[in-house]
Amino acid sequence: MGFQKTRARVKLRRFALFASGQFGLLALTLLWLLPYAWMVLTSLKTLPEIVAAPTRLFPEQLQFGAYRSALAAMPLGRYLLNSTITALGIALLQLLLALPAAYALGKLRFRGRSLAFGLIVATLLVPAQLRFVPIFSLLAELGLTNTYSALILPFAVSALGSFLLRQALLSLPDSIIEAARLDGASEFAIVFRLLPPLLVPSLVSVFLFSFVYHWNDYFWPLVMTTDDRVRTLPLGVALLREQGTGARWHIVMAGNVLLSAPVLLVFAFAQRALLRAVAASTS
Amino acid sequence: MLGAALALGVSGCDPRSEFERGRHRIQLWFTYGGRNRQVLEKLVAAFHRAQKDVFVQLVFQGDYFEGLAKLRVALAARAAPALSHVVGEVVPYLVEANVLARLDTWLEPGSLDLVPALSQAGSWLGGGERGLFVLPFNRSTPIAYLNAELLGSAQLTAPTTWEELREIALKLTIRSNAQVPRYGFGCPIDWWFWAALVGQGGGRIVEDTGEVTLGGAAGERAIEFWQQLVSRDRSMKPPPGRDYNAWEQTNQDFLAGRVAMIWTSTAFLRYLEDTAKFPVVAAPLPKQTRFAVPMGGTHWLIPKSAPAEDQRAAALFLQFVLGRRQAADWALGTGYIPVTRGAIELLEQDGHYQRHPNDRVALDQLQHAEPWPWSPRLFRIQREVLQPRLEAAVLAGANARQQLAEARRLAVKV
Amino acid sequence: MSGLRPASRWDPLWMLAPTLLLLAVFFFYPLLVAAKDSLYAWDLLTPPRYVGLDNYRSLLEDGSLYQSLKTTVGISVVVVAGALSLGLALALAANRPGLLAAWLRGSVFSAYVVSWVSVGLLWLWLLDADAGAVSRILRGLGWSQPGVLTHPNSAPVAIALVVVWKIAGYAMVVFLGGLQSIPKSVYEAAALDGASQFHRFRHVTLPLLAPSLAFVATTSLILSFQAFDVVRVMTQGGPVRSTTLFVYSVYERLFLDLQVGTASAEAVVFFFVLVLLTGLELWAFRKRERA
Repeated sequence: MGFQKTRARVKLRRFALFASGQFGLLALTLLWLLPYAWMVLTSLKTLPEIVAAPTRLFPEQLQFGAYRSALAAMPLGRYLLNSTITALGIALLQLLLALPAAYALGKLRFRGRSLAFGLIVATLLVPAQLRFVPIFSLLAELGLTNTYSALILPFAVSALGSFLLRQALLSLPDSIIEAARLDGASEFAIVFRLLPPLLVPSLVSVFLFSFVYHWNDYFWPLVMTTDDRVRTLPLGVALLREQGTGARWHIVMAGNVLLSAPVLLVFAFAQRALLRAVAASTS
Repeated sequence: MLGAALALGVSGCDPRSEFERGRHRIQLWFTYGGRNRQVLEKLVAAFHRAQKDVFVQLVFQGDYFEGLAKLRVALAARAAPALSHVVGEVVPYLVEANVLARLDTWLEPGSLDLVPALSQAGSWLGGGERGLFVLPFNRSTPIAYLNAELLGSAQLTAPTTWEELREIALKLTIRSNAQVPRYGFGCPIDWWFWAALVGQGGGRIVEDTGEVTLGGAAGERAIEFWQQLVSRDRSMKPPPGRDYNAWEQTNQDFLAGRVAMIWTSTAFLRYLEDTAKFPVVAAPLPKQTRFAVPMGGTHWLIPKSAPAEDQRAAALFLQFVLGRRQAADWALGTGYIPVTRGAIELLEQDGHYQRHPNDRVALDQLQHAEPWPWSPRLFRIQREVLQPRLEAAVLAGANARQQLAEARRLAVKV
Repeated sequence: MSGLRPASRWDPLWMLAPTLLLLAVFFFYPLLVAAKDSLYAWDLLTPPRYVGLDNYRSLLEDGSLYQSLKTTVGISVVVVAGALSLGLALALAANRPGLLAAWLRGSVFSAYVVSWVSVGLLWLWLLDADAGAVSRILRGLGWSQPGVLTHPNSAPVAIALVVVWKIAGYAMVVFLGGLQSIPKSVYEAAALDGASQFHRFRHVTLPLLAPSLAFVATTSLILSFQAFDVVRVMTQGGPVRSTTLFVYSVYERLFLDLQVGTASAEAVVFFFVLVLLTGLELWAFRKRERA
């Protein structure tokens, strides 16, 4: 009889542990989910409503006025286009440059290899704030300010991308390359025809990582663009935070929803690939 | 997603209004948000309807400081727009750096009928001795805003001296235990208001010789007045934050009834009147030994590097904006002071000032407005040397005399 | 040296030339220019004036260098500690099958994927003294001055926590990878030896996670040093310069004050500090590894 009681107690304790574990998970999930939910719900309210009852989650009535104002204040389509072009251009250009570089650094023997690799990795420590004025002056002299080139070229080299692709290549057996050479393939063909299909996961990782990072970039467009022609979305939305006559939170949050939605959408579809991209960068 | 973006982009790519086709296009970089931005947009639309040659493209650049930064960098890269506007303090610097176009090549200054105190000649000491480089756009002075309900129920009227301000602030402050649900007075800790206090104390920031004395004893008294209100009387709410955050906070505190009386720019008159749930009364700033207010707001300018065609087009726009009706409409819509005498006449004829006595306050205060010294370094001294020390003294309790002495020392090096 | 012999002597050249060329133009050239500019007083509009080491001297004298350093290191410490502990905790919590765990992984990581502007604006509103939900809650708990972002003492902490909130997802994924690569057999062996759960964690899991820990520590350090966007959007370096990170100070001096010389001097100092700190961190972890 005592044994049964103990059994029951153990079962109860196990259940309590399980429940509290689940509760803990839920609480943690909410810590990240709730702010975003709040943001979306706030964008559907009116300003007096927000100021009067900040902790109330749901709006009294769904109001889309904030979105109308946000869209009136900024050319969303233009900003979306600019962000996409910039991020796409950078990501593709980075792949184009990083692949041969990674091949040379990972597969070939030559003098100065360590130096080249070191130089590339060292750039991770040089933040954009350090670089921008000389680059701005340089681009101004070439008449390239406020253009896509100003936004894309300075990021054409990816230290992280080169590093990751090199890692992937290091684990690729040399025999594949030797066989291709014996077949008469040029080095150019090896780099751009043979390797890409073998490196698809790494290429996708680098692409996604870079695309998302540069789509979200705020600082560089902030200092390099002067008007809406090439302005990108994060900058456009940040400008909604207009000063002086009282923050219009519902409009700012509406803009924020418009800013976060595309990336979250990509994330929803490419979650696994993105997670793999991050995991790959750690090994 | 690329397809969607392209579709959206193409549709958003051509937001050109019907006015743009076939016209000479110039860019106007501006730094207004909210209501004032809408008034500007209406003004520009009126300009487009009034003539067929020029299209003005409005480009928003953030707040005053961000926009100024962008403008200066663009000036350095010779990629500046045809037209923009800047705060008064930075004008001497830009003129001396030789980056502004002479406006009197395009406009006849006499024909503009500007309010003397607001023109270049009136805004700076010796401003009339150089060529014409800037024209007033939105001009303002600091004024006091009072919560008429709170003052009325305590049977108080607007203070006219520092002593009265102190008394009234104390009377209107409500404390409960350690909390302060209502302060009597609020004011952004900003060098503009400090300059007002210095003038009221009889001091001058820059002497005729060019020496930056920062008000001397009057400068210290100004800081100590604030310190007294904040730390000892505890009747003044200090809004933290930087640059325009602090100003915004002051407005919000006033509107929410947390502060009974504030000092801020006449620029917010319309906004505060419309948003407050209580009647708002505007009043001139008090005196210590005399009445004095600094001037603020921005001036139009045309960069020298803009091509001649653009400069002509920009001047055309300026001519329009400074017309009687337009200047009046701008002042009406925003609460800034009308910049031409014709506009003031128009508003008086319309009976506007009878209906809105608050609008008269800033205008009348112009008689006590103090022109800035023509000092190219003033802008940097203000921002880099003085402002942080004002904050340190009032918000963190540093010694006023020490801070100013240090500021004077550093100002020489700027 | 390992690797294949290049087919032609020129191969490494054309493969690396574009990369190195662009690096030279967009990374090393600006660094050199910054070093040179640091010896001049220049505002971009008027001709530069040579001042030697004056810029460095004035930075030291007026205490702004020390202030930026203090603020940056202070925030970094919180960020690195937060990323390590929260990331590890999340990884341990989420390292199990089930829908809830998958939801946890997804929602935490999604904060990492969106832009800093997005996160900054969101928390700017949530922490707003008037209209923010967090402030309202704090006021309900008895806090009289709930403006977290408006006090010089709480603002840097708030910024650091927002950064942690955003990068926790990244840390979590790294640790998940590390945890999942530990073979079950190791745990079983420890359990057979009679080790308690806590003991297992401390003496088995943690040491095997050392590379992940080092990685997260280093990347979150670098990230916190470069957290410009969130400062710009939330506090603009204030109140009273309490959140003025090194990068923000450089930007402000350069862009808003147009003092190219002093800004460059500050940037050069910052670069060396970052190199030093990163080196120190890597060295410390390598030592621990060897021990």
